[in-house]
Amino acid sequence: MSKRTVFYDKHIQLGARMVEFGGWDMPVQYTSIIEEHKTVRNSVGVFDVSHMGQIFVSGKQAVDFLQSIVPQDIAKLKPSKAVYCQLPKADGCLVDDLIIYNLSENSYLVIANAANIQKDFDWLNTNVKNFDVKLENMSNEYSMLALQGPAAYKVLEKLGLVQKQQPHFFTIKEFNINGISGYISRTGYTGEDGFEFIIKNEYALKLWDMLFKEGEQFSIKPIGLGARDTLRLEAALMLYGNDLTECTTPVEAGLKWSIPVDKVPEYNGKKIILEQIENGVSKKLIGFVMTDRAIPRHEYEIYYNGHKTGVVTSGGYSPTLDKNIGMGYVDTKDNITLDETIEIMVRNKLYKAKVVKRPFVAKKYKIS
Amino acid sequence: MIVPEGILCSKSHEYLLEESETQFVIGLTDYAVEQLGDIVFVELPEEGTEFSKGEVFATVESVKAASEIYMPVGGKIIEVNEKIVESPEILNESPFEEGWLVKIESADAHAESGDLLEYLDYKEELE
Repeated sequence: MSKRTVFYDKHIQLGARMVEFGGWDMPVQYTSIIEEHKTVRNSVGVFDVSHMGQIFVSGKQAVDFLQSIVPQDIAKLKPSKAVYCQLPKADGCLVDDLIIYNLSENSYLVIANAANIQKDFDWLNTNVKNFDVKLENMSNEYSMLALQGPAAYKVLEKLGLVQKQQPHFFTIKEFNINGISGYISRTGYTGEDGFEFIIKNEYALKLWDMLFKEGEQFSIKPIGLGARDTLRLEAALMLYGNDLTECTTPVEAGLKWSIPVDKVPEYNGKKIILEQIENGVSKKLIGFVMTDRAIPRHEYEIYYNGHKTGVVTSGGYSPTLDKNIGMGYVDTKDNITLDETIEIMVRNKLYKAKVVKRPFVAKKYKIS
Repeated sequence: MIVPEGILCSKSHEYLLEESETQFVIGLTDYAVEQLGDIVFVELPEEGTEFSKGEVFATVESVKAASEIYMPVGGKIIEVNEKIVESPEILNESPFEEGWLVKIESADAHAESGDLLEYLDYKEELE
């Protein structure tokens, strides 16, 4: 049976339609995906993201250990900072993508994708070797809520966390509001400004109620996984299992920006990843907007000049643009450039699309 | 929402409404459109095309997924609802009135509709 988050009864009470996702019973929508999507773009919404995993890494060699498993330079990650990471194997292909937070000296929090929690934890344990570190999978003890949208910071203000006390973009801090304590970070997966709460299960329901009470004047709404997917797609954020798999490297996925080429310590897949940055890759991720009437979907084929060049990894309707958009991998040899026309095979017919820059919708992070 | 009298529903959630002895309207039931969620794309067949009972004649896509729509009885397409191609959300708003899919001409409809259910029986089956 699928696992349930502590919010399960809330979702049912709110009339959510539940689906299985990554081994969890999660709300896909409460009222309408489009309406929920627009709520996050225009005001503020709350997502139950408790299905995501929390792995704590601590000990004298926590930095050295993390340095050995991700391409990112964890030695440069200051306390309270967060970084988007990948978890490559020796061949450069990905076990998962992660957010790593530096909680304090020698203490890190790794956020793993729901379906990969055990796989990641096993992978970390396999790689621990002689490093003096402690690995704790606390996913079952922690819940997680994402508060996302332009009014998110206002809800926090009403909760008593004035702007000065709110974490800056991609940082994390401890909080204590009305006896509820935990971590709050300024991160999310929607392309909007927003926060994520990482809290012990015992506080979770109380925090949910507080957010909805204080958020009422901003028309706060619960948001399901359906809108989470359309929001992250517009922001061109990767979905592990679709855009990233055990057959893709971060360079192929266009994540070169996240990889420092001057990082000194060795890490899994370093040789191949650096070689790909230097010499290029055989397939690469592109974004496209349909110009013909059709919706691109995961696993549809991509054609260029009459031949198959790749496959769609994520696609769908964009509520913000009112257009159909997608991402997929194409053969680098075809040298497909921005504004060029490609075609997507939908139900045995080809439909035209134009290659565009990612993200599809500009991100609205509050950087300073 | 008014459910038209005399509609017959298939297990795959299409409805059939008799307009005359040989002409029928086909659409999706209120249950179907609610389950699909926000409908954002509709692909309808060309007028004049003939389909047998059970054949796929249209595709309806929600934000989440594409769904194939099957003929509840065989027949020839005589009219398609262009309005829903332009504004697919009409299917969610008015599945039985504004949001019909196609009209067909069918000599076999009565012979082929044996497995279709009256609306109340269809609703009961869903529970």
